[in-house]
Amino acid sequence: MPLLTATGIKKLFGGVVALSNGNLTCEEGKITGLLGTNGSGKSTISKIITGVYGKDGGTIIYDGKEINFKNPNEAKMNGISMVFQNLSLMPDLTVWQNIVLGIEKKKGLFLDDKQAIELAQSIINDLKPGMDVNKKVSELNPGEQQITEIAKAISVRPKLLIFDEPTAALEQEEVNSLFRYMRKLAGEGVAMIFTSHRLGEVMEICDNIVVFRNGENVGSMDFAVEEKDADAIVKMITGETEGIHISKEYHDIPDEVVFEVENLCYGKFLNNVSFKLRKGEVLGIGGLAGQGQTELMLALAGNYRQTQCKAQVNGQKVALTKPSNAVQNGVLLVPGDRQKEGTFQRNSIYYNMIFPKLGLKKQPLFTPRKKYREEAEQVCQALSVRAKSIDVDLYTLSGGNQQKIVVGKWLPFDINVLLLADPAKGVDVRAKKDLYDFIMNMVREKNMSVILYASDSDELISYCDRLLIMYEGEVVSELVGPEITEDNIVAKSMRVE
Amino acid sequence: MKEKNKINWKTLAGKPEFSTILMLVIMVIVTACLQKNFFSQRTILSYINSFTPLILLAMGQAVVIIAGGLDMSCGTSMALMLCVMTRIMDPEQPFSGVTALVIGLLVAIAIGLINGFAVGYLRLPAVIATFATSYAWLGTALFVTPTPGGQQVAWFKAFYDMKQVPGLEAIGSVIPTALLWILLACVVWYIISRTRTGRYIYAVGSDAENAYASGINTAKIQTIAYVINAVFLYFAAVYYAGQNGAGSAHFGDTLTLQAIAAAVVGGIAMSGGRGNVYLAIAGALIMSFVSKIIFFADIPNAYQTLVSGLIIIAAIGISAAYAASQKKAALKGGK
Repeated sequence: MPLLTATGIKKLFGGVVALSNGNLTCEEGKITGLLGTNGSGKSTISKIITGVYGKDGGTIIYDGKEINFKNPNEAKMNGISMVFQNLSLMPDLTVWQNIVLGIEKKKGLFLDDKQAIELAQSIINDLKPGMDVNKKVSELNPGEQQITEIAKAISVRPKLLIFDEPTAALEQEEVNSLFRYMRKLAGEGVAMIFTSHRLGEVMEICDNIVVFRNGENVGSMDFAVEEKDADAIVKMITGETEGIHISKEYHDIPDEVVFEVENLCYGKFLNNVSFKLRKGEVLGIGGLAGQGQTELMLALAGNYRQTQCKAQVNGQKVALTKPSNAVQNGVLLVPGDRQKEGTFQRNSIYYNMIFPKLGLKKQPLFTPRKKYREEAEQVCQALSVRAKSIDVDLYTLSGGNQQKIVVGKWLPFDINVLLLADPAKGVDVRAKKDLYDFIMNMVREKNMSVILYASDSDELISYCDRLLIMYEGEVVSELVGPEITEDNIVAKSMRVE
Repeated sequence: MKEKNKINWKTLAGKPEFSTILMLVIMVIVTACLQKNFFSQRTILSYINSFTPLILLAMGQAVVIIAGGLDMSCGTSMALMLCVMTRIMDPEQPFSGVTALVIGLLVAIAIGLINGFAVGYLRLPAVIATFATSYAWLGTALFVTPTPGGQQVAWFKAFYDMKQVPGLEAIGSVIPTALLWILLACVVWYIISRTRTGRYIYAVGSDAENAYASGINTAKIQTIAYVINAVFLYFAAVYYAGQNGAGSAHFGDTLTLQAIAAAVVGGIAMSGGRGNVYLAIAGALIMSFVSKIIFFADIPNAYQTLVSGLIIIAAIGISAAYAASQKKAALKGGK
């Protein structure tokens, strides 16, 4: 008998159907993969099971009883634990305090901290040996935070464990130890649901998959009886008979430098980074995660006051110490962490679109509302943003649509250099292709230049004309045109010759 | 050997407590230089006596701020408790002192619950909610004690100075009564900080939404934080009742912002989730020494407020600058 059976789950968000007919079964000791584009309903069904959202229809049978949890804590107490994509950690508490948060054990009058630290350390040792559980979460890098989040979900010894995009922030080595741990849990009879946009990972770890599209399941595959066919799965996800293929043509780029950076230094993160960016060129930044790529993108956008460098845009000197300097020179950033760095979640699309304009020096005393509203609507159309109107708050949109707004807000500007810091992180295959197609069109039509940092090397291979590999805050090698291959990137990143 | 000393010094300077303690030391030195008989027993005792209420208020404020709130009503709530207690007491009937203590505590808990309910359950912004309730407390206090006044029973003096009450002189001469209050508050917080409630107060202040998702009843925790604060205010009110035997509705008006400033100078982050309640004591001492320095530096009356304001701004500025420099050092720090 399956541990959990969900049938006919419905969910509406203010009239918009998120889930029309969601079905899912989980069995003890099995890892079930959930696949689908952003907004297909795969995250929604997980959140309904754990009580983050209430459902508008359907039944969930868990452990032989019908359930309807009111909050994640109730689900946790009943053995269903979820690893959230948007982390649920307390930044000011330590790793071990976070791991036992909500399940602290008492010893007499006081909390039993010693036992809690031991428990936390034993879980962390399996996931990432050597990580210090006494550090505060705010001092960790994103990968370590994700591991803490996973450890927190595991610590309650759940019967059903739900992962929502757990690997997006992890390095390969960390993903490997996570998968080892998941197999161990499966051996102990824990049922798991695994959501990821990385198809390769899903095929590696899952026993069976369920595919969602437009709020219902459109197919499933049991790897015990069926072959792991990536093309067939992609077809199910996109609903198209042809898979998504990206072909790259390398064309000559005239030797006209638009953006030149010399000896950029920023604290311990960046050390003497220099490069020249030509007009119409897509320059990639690659390397292992956490080698200073994110910091470089933010430094180029003027986010760090302490940045030291000589920079020129179209032959004019620019001090990259203030974001407004960068914006006024057409160096515009699409940040990776859209929730924190790129958007005002509680404001409307319109507001999010116009605020960069209000930062410009030449700005009329009264905001030309009508003109700006028309522009915002045009941008939404051009990027095919799915939203009722430009007055809805941003947090109501799906991740992919939010990311379109982050890119879209720069479109009315004169763009010299577009900085893309992992723009497709957590965005599905379909939306990812749309986003890149749109940007590449702009590169061609407007002869715009792009600096692209992506954690996924496929994106770098597909779109870059030239690739810089970073290692410990320095640019260590450069790959040009056809040299940009998976093998070369890995070799140069790991510094093997 | 020299190398080792250097490292110790660095770790010491890296602690967030460092700048607060350093500032306190400077304040003590400056006061000691200005006042001739600073280290006499009498002077120190009088300092402890006059600083204690602000210390208690600052500790209460620290608990609330760490839980992600703020209490703009702490001065007036303390004044209300004081007015109620001195109104109930009747020198002719020694037992009325007990009644006053019990009713005062009930008032304190009610105040904590109402503030906590408004901020935790109704989700009103803490600044607005407690500013509004501060008028309610003030109005009630004016109703209880329209003009400053009140009475006390003889044994109530023991809460201010045990030496003045027959039978307790022995304890009073060993340790100043005021110090016992601070000790009591520290013990209360020590016990709470080692329980789930203490951990959750930090969690809720750090990120209320995530704390809720982790199964913490955030509204309840915030309410408890306000009740703890109210109990500390109650300590201060009992102390004042023992000292003065009278109350006034406007008695605590200037204390509210001083308590908030003391918590900030003591390194409690206004954003919540960070800080050490015991360090609020140091913050309150710094704030108190400012007024002493002004007094002994012979600054003309007209400029006293201005100068004390500037010193407080400097103190807050120094702790902010120190935090920023630590951040910068961490940026440069070893690869």
